[in-house]
Amino acid sequence: MSLYDRNLILFSGKGGVGKTTIASSYALSCARRGQRTLLMELNVRDKVASYFGSQEIGSEIVTVEDNLHAVNVTPDAAMEEYGMMILRMKLVYRAVFENRVVRTFLQAIPGLNDLLMIGKAWHHATETDADGGPVWDTVVVDAPATGHGIFLLQIPSVIMSSISSGHMYREAEKIFSFLTDPQKTALNLVTLAEDMPVNETKMLRDQARQKLEMPIGCVVANGLYPQTFDQRERDWIDAAHEGNLSVDAGVSGMINAAAFRQQRIDMQQHYMDEIERSFDAPIARVPYYFEDRITFPVIESIAERLADQLDPEGAP
Amino acid sequence: MSSERREDFLELVRQRDIVVCAGSGGVGKTTTSAVLGLQAAVEGQRVLVMTIDPARRLANSLGAESLDNEPTQLDLEGFSEVGVRPDGELWAMMLDMKASFDDLVEQRAPDEETRQKILNNRLYEYFSTSLAGTQEYAAAERLYEAHSSGDWDLIVLDTPPTTHALDFLEAPSRLANAVESKAFQWIYEKELFQGESGLGLFSMGSSYVLKTLGKFTGTELLQELSVFLQHFSPMFQGFRDRARQVRDLLTGPECTFVVVTSPDPHTREESTHFYDELGSERVAVGGFIVNRVHPRWVDQSEFDRPVEDIAAAIADLDVDVELDDSERTQLAERLRSNAASFYVLARKDARSVEQLRAELSRDIPVATVPFFSQDIHSLTGLDRVRREIFG
Repeated sequence: MSLYDRNLILFSGKGGVGKTTIASSYALSCARRGQRTLLMELNVRDKVASYFGSQEIGSEIVTVEDNLHAVNVTPDAAMEEYGMMILRMKLVYRAVFENRVVRTFLQAIPGLNDLLMIGKAWHHATETDADGGPVWDTVVVDAPATGHGIFLLQIPSVIMSSISSGHMYREAEKIFSFLTDPQKTALNLVTLAEDMPVNETKMLRDQARQKLEMPIGCVVANGLYPQTFDQRERDWIDAAHEGNLSVDAGVSGMINAAAFRQQRIDMQQHYMDEIERSFDAPIARVPYYFEDRITFPVIESIAERLADQLDPEGAP
Repeated sequence: MSSERREDFLELVRQRDIVVCAGSGGVGKTTTSAVLGLQAAVEGQRVLVMTIDPARRLANSLGAESLDNEPTQLDLEGFSEVGVRPDGELWAMMLDMKASFDDLVEQRAPDEETRQKILNNRLYEYFSTSLAGTQEYAAAERLYEAHSSGDWDLIVLDTPPTTHALDFLEAPSRLANAVESKAFQWIYEKELFQGESGLGLFSMGSSYVLKTLGKFTGTELLQELSVFLQHFSPMFQGFRDRARQVRDLLTGPECTFVVVTSPDPHTREESTHFYDELGSERVAVGGFIVNRVHPRWVDQSEFDRPVEDIAAAIADLDVDVELDDSERTQLAERLRSNAASFYVLARKDARSVEQLRAELSRDIPVATVPFFSQDIHSLTGLDRVRREIFG
């Protein structure tokens, strides 16, 4: 089943591997296929706005592109929405939830913030409009890095194992069955082709299976240096680099830069082989972009590459 | 980097008892922690590096199979290969948060019955591993223990990656504040819950607020939480005392923070945000280390150089791979364009480091470590980083 047919798509991985870039690009690829898409950041310093050149993204959903909307969920806003859904009345919500004692109490409930955030993602993924149709075709979540990500996704099952009835139990149960349904949800793992990120990604994969029971959608290997030199050129560069030849500073610098690129490509190849051996999920490769900063054209280019690799048949 | 800046980093590991490495995820905190520890060991100190990262290859490269919750001495013999003979000792441990928190309960629970009730509570496992601050609290506790033992000349702590540098520092006090707050007391006061229905909180009938809250969370969760907190409450005083001691230690003259970052502008902004937060808490920041800075291999002027000129220069070189004229022209073009690609990154990184220096107080030393072509998980790699920072 193609990733594009599922409703809730989450991205996690080691810190610094480019989760937000990949999640944003994937969301754009969904939107470009005509899917009405919501991209969610979870209570972080917003990066998405800089990719789409939009206003800063806060707790209100904003449109950033055709078919593409974004929100940066805060626990407070999620709590208000959730409280309102249950209580129906703003005045009641205020009386209860804006009571100082109640607030402190709620803040101290272990995992409540996480539950509210994952609950909101689930809510949007299942939300229906007046005619009963889905409000969103796809909800893409830029989830926290490995450690916190696991805690976040684990919270519904923790609640289910701690209590056995009540409103929160029923909510947790619904969220859990959605998160673990391979027809509806996918957890995607973003990594670099380097030692520590690959190891952490394997750990995340194992925890996703054992603790979370969540389906893995794909592995995205980010930041791969494109090969620009052919074999004879590489041989020449290796020999010249090792030969320590006397040549002007400019050419010597160029040889060093080329050798650096080659060494990193070799290292990345080594870890790509390991990724291919270790994961049975589809693998998408994303090149390194030699740019000043990540701007919309980069996101667009990654979006196209993801779509080509993850669904070669390509709907719309 | 100027020699006096190097001197600043040397002073830091020589004079402080504790160095805390803080920063966003993926910036190389664990490697940096190992390198700071290594430098102190080279100079003859007895050093403990406490990490939260299961960086197995890093452990392997330091001669350890893996790290666990107890300090392991690392074999530094291998450094003689890179011409370094450490006079001191380097020990490392990986903080196991769950085990550390279990230890805490073991030590602080007033009696065996309470201990068992806490450890067997259904909420405990989640509480011990993921309630905001518990991990950091456990790390702070282990740090305090290690420091009090007097066994170490220097302790280097690799902190969990957080959005807020101070989660680590604030965690102990936040936890203590939360548990002593009115709300918590209100929940764990026994009489509130033990009315005739078995859950007095909701049988009191008078509180609209509580009823509504029960509707929101479910009464069972409130009850489970209240049972847990009742058992946990005797330990709160101990937590609070310890939180204060840890805070005094971290803000005292024995300790300094090193902020680790990368030149990526977003990461750099996070790091200066940490710096501001640490400053407002009067925590000493001893320095910044910027990892993965792209080197500048060529000057910009080289990109205007005609391809024929570069091709001619490489034709003169005595390289064992024979290329014909058109191959040489193509290679020259590709060499130039590759260098130009990396130049973009080098310029971007240099600007970012410049920006960082401009934003920091002038007496904060900033060390840059180049982006290497290989991962740092060998002794040689660690020693290269060490030489970049300390000269």
